[in-house]
Amino acid sequence: MNKLNRKAMFLFFIMISTVFISGCWSQKELNELAIISAMAIDKNEDGKYVKTIQFVNPGNVAGGLQGGGGGQGPAVTVYTATGDTILEAHINASAKVSRRLYHAHANLLVISEEVAREEGIDGIIDAFERDPEVRTESKIVIARDAKAGDIVKSLTSIDKVPSEKVNKTLLVTERARGENIVVSIQDFISVSASLGREPVISGFRIKGEPEKGKKMENVQQSELDATLEASGLAVFKEEKLIDWYEGDLAKGTMWILDKIQQTDVKVSWKGKKNAVVYNVIRQKTNVSADTKNTYPEMTIHVRAEGDIRELTTPVDITDPAVISDLEKEIEKEIKKQLEKAVTRTQKNNSDIFGFGEVVHRTDPEKWKKMKRDWDDEYFPYVNVNVKVDAFIRRTGLRTNSFHSNTEK
Amino acid sequence: MVPFFKRKKQSNKGKRQERDSSGSSKNSAEEKDFIGSSLAANVDKIRQKTGYSSDLVIRLINIGPQSEIKIAVLYVKGMVDSQSINDFLIEQIMKNKALQEKIMPNEALDIITEEAVALGGVKSVQDWEELFTVLMAGNTILLIDGINKALSASTQGGARRSVQESTTNVSVRGSKEAFTESIETNTAMVRRIINNPNLWTESMKIGKMTKTEVSIMYINGIAKNEIVEEVRKRLKRINIDGILESGYIEQLIEDQTLTTFPTVHHTERPDCVAGNLLEGRIAILVNGTPFVLLVPALFIDFFQSVEDYYERFDISTALRFLRTVTFLISLIAPAVYIAATTFHQEMIPTQLAIIIAAQRESVPFPAFVEALIMEVTFEILREAGIRMPKAIGSTVSIVGALVIGQAAVQAGIVSPAMVIIVSMTAIASFATPSYAVAISARLVRFVFMISAATFGFYGIILAFIMLTVHLCSLRSFGVPYMSPLAPFIPGEAGDTILRKPIWAYSKRPHLISGENKVSEGKHQKPGPPGPRNMTNHYTEKGE
Repeated sequence: MNKLNRKAMFLFFIMISTVFISGCWSQKELNELAIISAMAIDKNEDGKYVKTIQFVNPGNVAGGLQGGGGGQGPAVTVYTATGDTILEAHINASAKVSRRLYHAHANLLVISEEVAREEGIDGIIDAFERDPEVRTESKIVIARDAKAGDIVKSLTSIDKVPSEKVNKTLLVTERARGENIVVSIQDFISVSASLGREPVISGFRIKGEPEKGKKMENVQQSELDATLEASGLAVFKEEKLIDWYEGDLAKGTMWILDKIQQTDVKVSWKGKKNAVVYNVIRQKTNVSADTKNTYPEMTIHVRAEGDIRELTTPVDITDPAVISDLEKEIEKEIKKQLEKAVTRTQKNNSDIFGFGEVVHRTDPEKWKKMKRDWDDEYFPYVNVNVKVDAFIRRTGLRTNSFHSNTEK
Repeated sequence: MVPFFKRKKQSNKGKRQERDSSGSSKNSAEEKDFIGSSLAANVDKIRQKTGYSSDLVIRLINIGPQSEIKIAVLYVKGMVDSQSINDFLIEQIMKNKALQEKIMPNEALDIITEEAVALGGVKSVQDWEELFTVLMAGNTILLIDGINKALSASTQGGARRSVQESTTNVSVRGSKEAFTESIETNTAMVRRIINNPNLWTESMKIGKMTKTEVSIMYINGIAKNEIVEEVRKRLKRINIDGILESGYIEQLIEDQTLTTFPTVHHTERPDCVAGNLLEGRIAILVNGTPFVLLVPALFIDFFQSVEDYYERFDISTALRFLRTVTFLISLIAPAVYIAATTFHQEMIPTQLAIIIAAQRESVPFPAFVEALIMEVTFEILREAGIRMPKAIGSTVSIVGALVIGQAAVQAGIVSPAMVIIVSMTAIASFATPSYAVAISARLVRFVFMISAATFGFYGIILAFIMLTVHLCSLRSFGVPYMSPLAPFIPGEAGDTILRKPIWAYSKRPHLISGENKVSEGKHQKPGPPGPRNMTNHYTEKGE
């Protein structure tokens, strides 16, 4: 009767035992994880790192669920831990959290202005890049005029998870306004590792009172006591924060970095300020280098297309001559922004525009000589020409404004 | 260890030889037992052999001027068409003028055979075994005193299910009729579709006790001779008590029994059989069941329905894609959920991960146990639903919907996401056209779940590789089970997950069909009439 092939049985048992001996190796249930949504790095008076970790409270985020009791409590819970190193602070945090710390869904890293100014952020970033669980697509922002911890502690409405709110805000404002830039950990690393370029990171500030932002009442009103808002570009030099750019300066920087997707340009017309508002819908900026002389000569060529979106005074935009005059005005205005950014940046000795990379591409031989002291010896003395071509494509839903008739 | 295995093999071989020799000796021992010439003795023997069964009717008739010739008419009640026995057999014999004259029993036999009986299928029977087989199949036996022969007339009839609409292979378009339990009807239904003398059938009786009629049907020239021979051989080898359904045959002629995947196709539809015969397959019809077997069966056949060929090719191709996807869903959906939520949380989009985490907050079990509970509950419900009397069936579905749908979620025992996954899997498994493959997917699903629970996605891939290797190792009557995908046959890949247009089917599947490979003439692609025909006509008129 014993027809079973013993060899087959033996193999079968070996295979089965691999299943049962290994058990559920590295298995972790979703409800045993503390899902980290954001992390913030500060420094305390003792010179220790303070790591603030924002955890998602799944039950409070996924509203309208049975058993979830959506919206009852805060969407996130924040724990703080200190340590001499980032990892030590992280490990110390486990003493306060009942679940396994899980980084894979963390998408925001906030670094305080103080840390960025005083000791640079390269050392901090390494810990995050090395950790296999942390995503290098997580975005970095600098906490401006605030503690980084306070940024992640503030509760937000609409997007209940604050890290989501910060990320989406950055993305939207980069597209619509063009004064902030989205920088992820890996973007920062690749720029920081390049000799011909210095990083910029967007700043975030708390508008209002940080203390009130931590309470649930903050999100139970139409106007929040504390709102997180994107504010300015942090300019780095040798991994340290040295300057903040805002308004036209930030816009000019974004133009040169070819990051503008949409923005507004205000133009004066016949002596009246802000008479015409031009909305850029498409642009392409090319930076080229001429390395004939000792100091390279850079040419920035902007080609912008857009619509007229606001007329505060009657302008006869049905006249092609007027349109081409307006285009010239717009070109002048854009050029002004760019030049302003270039002047300030050259003064800072920090090549955030990546001119060095352009020189490297154009003349690799010459770059070899320049690369060591590019930022201090060459970049400030580079001659920059700005050329702008702006085109008005449409004028919105109207041609002439209705108030051009009432004038007469 | 090695010598031990060797010994094992040898002993197996010895046994097999023993069995073969015993089988052959039995065949030679069989001797024919002939019918005697005494009517009384014969009738007695029949009654005795049938255990004086009450449904055996024996009607004695006397003919000749002095009623000196005794005739016995025997048949089994209910299995015969009594109308035709009365009208065409008994009445004809009694009223025949030639039989009223003085004749010898020998002459009487001839007259009855040639003149009196107004029925088709009259033949003489000489040995007892054949007599009983014929009698039990519903024929009428005629015995004449003094003659050592019997006459059988085919009077099969009685109540049978009529041709009805198919219940298992339902289609929107196409013939509605399905096979019945009667093999004659079934054969005729196929013949009605393929009106060709090359449609050959071979009949045999299988089953020591049941003597079930089994026919092989194929198109001579299109079917591959080697495969026909193989089918014949495998059917002849069968030596069991009874064949109650074609499933018995299926299990006895499979190439590989250690698999959950079917290597023999079965269908209830004559048009499906006809289509497969035209591709060179061989049909095995079994009396007493509406399910006809088709061999060789390839894996991809189980994802195709006859309707694919009735709809236009773009629609059929889309539907075949859908079926492949649903098969994959029914196979690995719970496994992927388990792997993603217990091993690879980083692969779930953040928002979804948070939602699932929120749902799982109150669930006391690990995802695997949760999935197992739900899957087993569902299988219980399905099994309960199938064999329930129809009146209670709705109760099962209500209770089931409440238990797995709502109560379990509200009680916090399972998460709503898991309910979605399980229901999706269940629906997907119903979307596979072949029940046979859907069942194996149900079984294999649990293997996938276990490997996902132990190794995550790695385990799923591992199980998937093993499944693929297993499927590639299978054969159906010598034809690789995964062909034409593995081995890949470029010309035939168009009729797998894709369904090329009908006008592009120029060749028959080459691993299955015999010498006659061309199934279509050239230039079958239709198009509008040529410009000449159209324009000339109008311009001529205009001018």
